[in-house]
Amino acid sequence: MSRYEPLDDAADAVASRLPAPMGSLIDRERPLHFTFEGETYRGFAGDSIASALAAHGRLVLSRSFKYHRPRGALTLAGQDANTLVQLPDEPNVLADVRRLEDGLSVTGQNYSGSLDHDRDMRLGKFARFMPVGFYYRAFYKPRGAWKRWEPLIRRKAGLGRFDLDARGSYHDKAYLFTDVMVVGSGPAGLSAALTAAEGGARVLLVEQQPQLGGSLTYARFDIDGRRGERLRDELVSVVARHPSIRVMCDATCNGWFTDNYLPVIQGRRMFKVRAKECIVASGSFDQPAIFRNNDLPGVMLASAAQRLMRHYAVKPGRRAVVLTGNDDGYLAALDLHEQGIEVAALADMRPSPENPALAEALAAAGIPVRAEQTVYEALHDKSLHRVTGVELRRIVGTGDVADQGQRIDCDLLCMTAGYMPVYQLLCQAGGRLRYDDEAAEFSISGLPAHLHIAGSVNALHDLDRVSEDGVRAATEALRALGHDVPMPQRSAPAPRRVNHPWPIFPHPKGKAFVDFDEDLQIEDILNATRHGYRDVQLVKRFSTVGMGPSQGRHSALPTARLVARATDRSVSETGVTTARPPFTAETLGHLAGRGFDPFRLTPMHRRHEALGAHMMPAGHWRRPAYYPATDGSLARERCMQEEARQVREKVGMIDVSTLGGLEIRGPDAAEFINRLYTFGFLKQPVGRTRYAVMTSEQGVVIDDGVSCRLAEDHFYVTATTSGVTNVHRSMLQWNARWRLDVDIANVTSAFAAINLAGPLSRQVLETLCDDVDLSAEAFPYLELRTGHVAGIPARLLRVGFVGELGYEIHVPSRYGEALWDRLMEAGAAFGLRPFGVEAQRLLRLEKGHVIIGQDTDGMSHPEEIGLGWAVNRKKPFFVGRRAVDILAAQPQKRRLVGFRLPASSAKPREGQLVLEGETITGNVTSCEYSPTLGAVIGLAYAAPEKAAPGSQITLRVDGGQEITAEVVALPFFDPDNTRQEL
Amino acid sequence: MTTQNATTGLSRPPLNGLHAERPRVEWKQLGDAEIPARFSGPTDEGFRLDHCGLADLSALPRFGLRGPQAAAALAERGYRLPDEPNRCRIQDDGSRLARLSSTEYLLLGSLTDAGQRVSMTAQDWATLPPGCYSLPRQDSHAWLVLTGASTARVMAKLCGVDLDAAAFPAGHIAQTSVARIDAIVIRDALGELPCLHLLVDSASAAYLWPALLDAMQEFDGGPLGLDALLSPAAA
Amino acid sequence: MKILHCPLNGPRNISEFIYGGELKTMPDPATCSDREWADYVFYHDNLPAVVTEWWFHSASGYWFLAERHTLTDEVLRTFDPGELFRQRVEFAHAETPS
Repeated sequence: MSRYEPLDDAADAVASRLPAPMGSLIDRERPLHFTFEGETYRGFAGDSIASALAAHGRLVLSRSFKYHRPRGALTLAGQDANTLVQLPDEPNVLADVRRLEDGLSVTGQNYSGSLDHDRDMRLGKFARFMPVGFYYRAFYKPRGAWKRWEPLIRRKAGLGRFDLDARGSYHDKAYLFTDVMVVGSGPAGLSAALTAAEGGARVLLVEQQPQLGGSLTYARFDIDGRRGERLRDELVSVVARHPSIRVMCDATCNGWFTDNYLPVIQGRRMFKVRAKECIVASGSFDQPAIFRNNDLPGVMLASAAQRLMRHYAVKPGRRAVVLTGNDDGYLAALDLHEQGIEVAALADMRPSPENPALAEALAAAGIPVRAEQTVYEALHDKSLHRVTGVELRRIVGTGDVADQGQRIDCDLLCMTAGYMPVYQLLCQAGGRLRYDDEAAEFSISGLPAHLHIAGSVNALHDLDRVSEDGVRAATEALRALGHDVPMPQRSAPAPRRVNHPWPIFPHPKGKAFVDFDEDLQIEDILNATRHGYRDVQLVKRFSTVGMGPSQGRHSALPTARLVARATDRSVSETGVTTARPPFTAETLGHLAGRGFDPFRLTPMHRRHEALGAHMMPAGHWRRPAYYPATDGSLARERCMQEEARQVREKVGMIDVSTLGGLEIRGPDAAEFINRLYTFGFLKQPVGRTRYAVMTSEQGVVIDDGVSCRLAEDHFYVTATTSGVTNVHRSMLQWNARWRLDVDIANVTSAFAAINLAGPLSRQVLETLCDDVDLSAEAFPYLELRTGHVAGIPARLLRVGFVGELGYEIHVPSRYGEALWDRLMEAGAAFGLRPFGVEAQRLLRLEKGHVIIGQDTDGMSHPEEIGLGWAVNRKKPFFVGRRAVDILAAQPQKRRLVGFRLPASSAKPREGQLVLEGETITGNVTSCEYSPTLGAVIGLAYAAPEKAAPGSQITLRVDGGQEITAEVVALPFFDPDNTRQEL
Repeated sequence: MTTQNATTGLSRPPLNGLHAERPRVEWKQLGDAEIPARFSGPTDEGFRLDHCGLADLSALPRFGLRGPQAAAALAERGYRLPDEPNRCRIQDDGSRLARLSSTEYLLLGSLTDAGQRVSMTAQDWATLPPGCYSLPRQDSHAWLVLTGASTARVMAKLCGVDLDAAAFPAGHIAQTSVARIDAIVIRDALGELPCLHLLVDSASAAYLWPALLDAMQEFDGGPLGLDALLSPAAA
Repeated sequence: MKILHCPLNGPRNISEFIYGGELKTMPDPATCSDREWADYVFYHDNLPAVVTEWWFHSASGYWFLAERHTLTDEVLRTFDPGELFRQRVEFAHAETPS
């Protein structure tokens, strides 16, 4: 027999397609042009990149990961990594599933020079010097060697090019709710969907391929060859039109998460499906046999050849050999024969087919059957570009073959050694794989409630049983949904043995691939066991088997078998590696998608923007850090200092709407606050404010604010911007236990607030407020009034956070902007300027006021930060009381102190260390240059014995430099608080 | 210089500043605030109303009432109460009374009287009976309305609760998360027109409004003014 | 994502809820030993068993209790805290004017 030449790039390849009904996916009326590796090809709408190239006889799509061997499609269903190609703005595209587009420009990946002549292919010659674990073991010694080797290895090993200038496309996510979701639309999925819909459920049917039918669209189920198509037509015609069934094709269910939360990716959207019941009818993966050169282009799964013909009308070759471990190989041979492909031989690894009629059918077609034989080696010309023949040998034992064989020329080798259930989603759900050593097959058990399984993934392979199983699963789902439907009768099982127990045939010259993605051969797996790895999980991590893009779809079973045999165990003992989400690779676009990043704005936000404020985040809020200085500068220090000076000398105002606000009302309001905050509040007079510190049950200071008593039974309590949500939640939780007669409302967003501060603040406010006597006698420091400002109903608080005469004006948020405007107008004559958070922080630092969360941490208790005065130890209870007592009785470990440095000194940063010799005694929590004091001032934790004013503490600042600061009494400014009490 | 209660022109619903940036917005006075009357031509807004529109009713009066005596106080004022929590009942005057828990209610003013009745009720209750606590929902919450046939599909892009009319009929309430912020979602109908009320934190409204419009794009949705909601189609 | 059944709002994604810790009985802070208080504040049994936990539904501001098996993560029951806490809790009053 003469050597067979591969197909030429025939100019009229388009015309050479098989006649209908082959080509169910292509539209022959719509030819398309595209380029691959710079050459122009033609295809049809509906073609995949790989099918259109295969129609031209072009099988080589990529180079393998490690040895740069030419590779072609193995599954034609997107389940192998051999088809990864490069698009201009997208690497690692699966050529066997990516639909062809007119003008598409495609190139190969992972080669030096050209795809057809890869200089790095010589790496294959060194394969025996690059055993598994080679990189780990070879390049890490001597120390530091990896740094030199890494760039080279990365360049050789990388897959694809990423276009850093590419613009992201719009991806998003959407929920989808359904009663029943069916994964997979093969015979089991279709009958399950139909049964569920007929039973009254809303059904979502998800199919990864472009058309419904699963194996019915490409496989052959009988000698006549019509059964699959008939069943498909029958089911699809009803399912596609059923009003209760939503069909999603080209959609992949990429994971299973608790309570049937199922991500389904379709196009640029990720659907977050929530299904009350889920039926997984995901089918099974055709499995390759393992022999020398089983990776050559032209060697493919029988199902891949069938897909090429039925879906794309492409002749997979001219002369084929079929290697099978079950009856399905016979049916595939008949398919090839019918489409004009000469089948030179069918090698059956078993002594005979289960169905004797198949042998007769092949004999009638003139196809020679070689029983108990296998392909020992796939042959090729020097280029490795395509299989040119096979050597068949008789099987004489498990994995052993006779010494002599026979060579047969062919350009196509179809193999089917058995099936592996598509178990990924089920194992993610907690299902356990059990291997039946007798049937050489896996089954799955231990699934959670509301997750069902049907069809060949459930180890059923007879078409009638598969359909029945779909009905059974759907009936179970309907019953779980509360529909009163009877369970169907089950037929007697008709077991088919579809898995050959040992389709693995080592060759002394190697190149029998177990994992195509990672270029792993039989010897690599055995080597791992020789290194002592017995656990498949460890074999996986050592050898990287199953870690490539196809995630063990074809390597998990042979690896388990090889490890089992090498360690004298059964596969049921070794098990297989874990399958984690995602099922298929998903793009970052799908994960990132259209994200939600909520933010909150105060009612005055647009005014800050108009003033050109530099904004900063504060929790979810955006707040002005500072406004432009008089000269327009936005330099932080300058703006902050100008603003601070204005407050000290004249008047400033700051938007404090982000401050938390809580309304506590009811007969028990005072009792409730008394239990939550450390001070005494039962006798707080109406019209007075009182500082309120909250401690956790651990005695740690967690929030502070001002308690305002508006009436006997009405308190308005402020809380920190970032703390109010937690404070409110914690209040509700306490009262769920205490059952006090009190209402607790978080009114943060309902109030806008401005702190008007500075020696002139009273004069500004007087121009706008005539129903509150603002005089120092009538409205002194720490008092509270309600009235109107510019006609707006307001709560006025005399507080002193920044240490000047000041009023916090709280108004309903709808009036916040108008209040801002009126104050700005009224204040213009007094030199009023708005100030930002940075100036406020500086001003309060000058007053030695702590900011909870900045000057405190998860350990700070009241004594430590100088708030012992705010704790009432006479009242019987407050949250944290007991822990505060315990902590106060213990020797103190640190103390928050004020320190001062000359203006010329380096400015310590927040977080920098306080040292006592080599020992860390604390850290800086706040530090700033104070223009008022002409010095750098700050707060820091220091050893208690250094707390006395006049002590020296050592700070380690930028560059490791150590400086000495003087501990000074707090507050730094206006120690008698005369200014704020004016 | 007595200006007490002269708040007309001072009230600024949280999204008015954002609306003002749109090129062709026309305004209407509603109570003491302005509300967008229309964002674009009547044809556009008519289409949006039916298919996918978003209106801002934040200027319309609303308030909350909570406490053991809240139900009795509302009933005394002639309000008809929903029988169970998370249900909303339409009142004769067109205002809506939503029940959010066993003891909490939310009153939404009617478009037909510009919220007059609800506003009056709130004013009458300046001093509340014992066991009743008012909640400043007009200031704490923005009020948006999503209209048209696509509402459930728009919301599926933002919210993990099935808001399709089959699962979430008119009068039902979902207190849930919408685009990662807390929201009260009420299914309602303006005449024959399906709609969802969304009550969300007023400080977050400027975040949610564009997020909703973005989700509505694929349905050719867009903002709606008050005129469209008052049009015969929505009557 | 897990679904939790809120007694007020029905089944919801667990992302709508905030965990509030195990339900514990506070020892009398006036009389318990330091160790008892530390036990209460810091230590958890962490047993593979059914525990009662606090859960908070954020959008409705509602606290409830859930009985959950820590081994299977199965939630057996959720209920209003009013079922357990029926009476006003008092702490002895001895406040002097402040």
